[in-house]
Amino acid sequence: MTSILCPEIPKPGFSFDNCQRNATLESKGFAVPKATKTGTTIVGIIYKDGVILGADTRATEDTTVADKNCEKIHFLAPNMYCCGAGTAADTEMTTQMISSKLELHRLFTNRVVRVCTANQMLKQYLFGYQGYIGAALILGGVDSTGPHLYSIYPHGSTDKLPYTTMGSGSLAAMAIFESRWKPDLTEEEGIQLIRDAIAAGIFNDLGSGSNVDVCVIRKGSVDYKRTYDEANKKGVRQASYRYPRGTTKVLDTKVFTVEETVHQLETESMDTA
Amino acid sequence: MSSIGTGYDLSASQFSPDGRVFQVEYAMKAVENSGTIIGLKAKDGVILAAEKLILSKLHETGTNRRIFNIDTHIGMAVSGLIADARQIVEIARKEAAAYRTKYGTKIPVKFLNDRVSMYIHAYTLYSAIRPYGCSVILSSFDNDEPEMYTIDPSGVSFGFHGCATGKAKQSAKTEIEKLKLGNYTCKELVKEAAKIIYTVHDELKDKNFELELSWVCKDSKGVHEKVPDSVYSDAEKAAKQAMEADSESDTEDM
Amino acid sequence: MNMGNDWMDAAHSTGTSIMAAEFDGGVVIGADSRTTTGAYIANRVTDKLTKVTDHIYCCRSGSAADTQAIADIVSYHLNFHGMELGEEPPVEVGAAVFKELCYNYRDSLMAGILVAGWDKLKGGQIYSIPIGGMCVRQNVSIGGSGSSYVYGYVDANFKPKMSKEDCVKFVTNTLALAMSRDGSSGGVVRLGIITEKGIERRVILGTDLPKFYED
Repeated sequence: MTSILCPEIPKPGFSFDNCQRNATLESKGFAVPKATKTGTTIVGIIYKDGVILGADTRATEDTTVADKNCEKIHFLAPNMYCCGAGTAADTEMTTQMISSKLELHRLFTNRVVRVCTANQMLKQYLFGYQGYIGAALILGGVDSTGPHLYSIYPHGSTDKLPYTTMGSGSLAAMAIFESRWKPDLTEEEGIQLIRDAIAAGIFNDLGSGSNVDVCVIRKGSVDYKRTYDEANKKGVRQASYRYPRGTTKVLDTKVFTVEETVHQLETESMDTA
Repeated sequence: MSSIGTGYDLSASQFSPDGRVFQVEYAMKAVENSGTIIGLKAKDGVILAAEKLILSKLHETGTNRRIFNIDTHIGMAVSGLIADARQIVEIARKEAAAYRTKYGTKIPVKFLNDRVSMYIHAYTLYSAIRPYGCSVILSSFDNDEPEMYTIDPSGVSFGFHGCATGKAKQSAKTEIEKLKLGNYTCKELVKEAAKIIYTVHDELKDKNFELELSWVCKDSKGVHEKVPDSVYSDAEKAAKQAMEADSESDTEDM
Repeated sequence: MNMGNDWMDAAHSTGTSIMAAEFDGGVVIGADSRTTTGAYIANRVTDKLTKVTDHIYCCRSGSAADTQAIADIVSYHLNFHGMELGEEPPVEVGAAVFKELCYNYRDSLMAGILVAGWDKLKGGQIYSIPIGGMCVRQNVSIGGSGSSYVYGYVDANFKPKMSKEDCVKFVTNTLALAMSRDGSSGGVVRLGIITEKGIERRVILGTDLPKFYED
């Protein structure tokens, strides 16, 4: 019954027409394009006066290091920061979008936004995309009810914890926390613990590397310590490896005369008529 | 109420300078022209009774009822324009059914009352529509608790122990106030309800009427239904006897 | 970059042991505390007993994301309904709203939920809503991957109208047995005792779990 006057109405909802084609292409060896994923170590703890977040700074594209010093601790609100692991673009855009919503919420309510609000917004957003937004986040902040730390998974589930790790280096980092975290750490102890956890990721996980970023959030103040530590500094060369002049012996010398001819080119004035 | 609209009565969306909405008041007038309906709350249930005026001898008895089932446990008696009232019955039934599918249990009559009064109130806000010309009484017996509400054309609603609307609402209310409602069981109260309807019926203005009686109580297992035939005929008999006794005493007085 | 870490891409889910049992005056709900992604324990102190209203709680099993989202939505609906009604909604209503979501979205959800609570009409109640969106009332109910190991224990040891402490003991024993046989359950036992007065929460640490014949 399809005609120009009465065109067929396309079926509503997602189209899965290309799924079988893509599966066939894949099985015949066609490589599927991949999104950049930050093989990452990100961590967070609650300490005596607030929350400390930590992250490495390596961004990878397959096995290549795409960025040796990227920022994985994102700003959400003046009292809240968020570490991102997973698809770099997704963590970046998700945190920016939620950050803007939180600012509007702050203006509407005239209050410092609470961390549980950010958590709820993030989980509802990610749940809506059913895991297709590959953002694994550690959300930390301090509000009127005290310090809070959440880990948020791409499918939209969240955990509220006193210490947590995420990303490919999370196992190495968790080993540090499980052995050394305790309630009411001082700020110095906390930062040291965060550094060591990120360092464990940097050293033991191929997907993590370069520097340690740390962000301390207290009630009313924040210390964002970008490049807090370069965990694996390149060693300094102990000696010069340059060959001194004359290392190679001159065995023989020959001199050639090269003939040169020079042609003068006539300059021609441009036609400006 | 007798003041004339002087141009402020053309629309429900406009106040008069002294702060009244005439269209709503006219709707209440429409209710006052219809047969009386009453509701009585007993210890163990609620009785609804209606004086259904018969306009033609050709009408079949038992049709065009003024008492409706809304859900198994809820009844509704209506006064005023019957066509308007049927629409209210319809939305109340839909609301009750929607509640069942959404929440898996019987709708609490308090909740239904809120929804229906909101709906009726919405019709008093716009210029393009007229308010409903009917008042309704909701009765229910749920979780061993009798409940009763009335809703006006204005959308106002109240919970009552006993109430009346329609033509003879004043005299009906006076009669109801004479009863000690808390002491009665439903069985006993049915007779009182019938008596009141017979008492307040004005034989001079309206010749014929049909008595309607319904209950929702412990005896009916929490189901709203018209009272069983035996109960109905007993009540009617009692009412007629009371009327006769009354008129005899009247003649004695003379 | 995916380095073959199943725990990076695996759906975050609660391979779980959960249960609920009626007693004289209320219900006891209980759960283990393990959340896994693949073979990695993402959270060893999870709270799978989630509040819906003051007197209605749910035990979650299946996908953490799905069950958290459902619990949030139901909580919204019931609180809204509670405001309109002027009193707390009955447990039956809570279960009906859970069921409505679980059934309508059965193709895209992975959720096995126990709804438990107390109301003044019917006292302590438990409704089981397994994957697919069925809804049945039970005196005692178990759920999650660990439940398979303890059906026999529950059938043999549950008695209607137990005292509160007997019921707590029964739930603790059942969960300890389930957690010891099920790899994806473990950690601590979290309990909730819901009565007319509200909920009383308890935790039984891994070191204090009841031991059986092994040692």
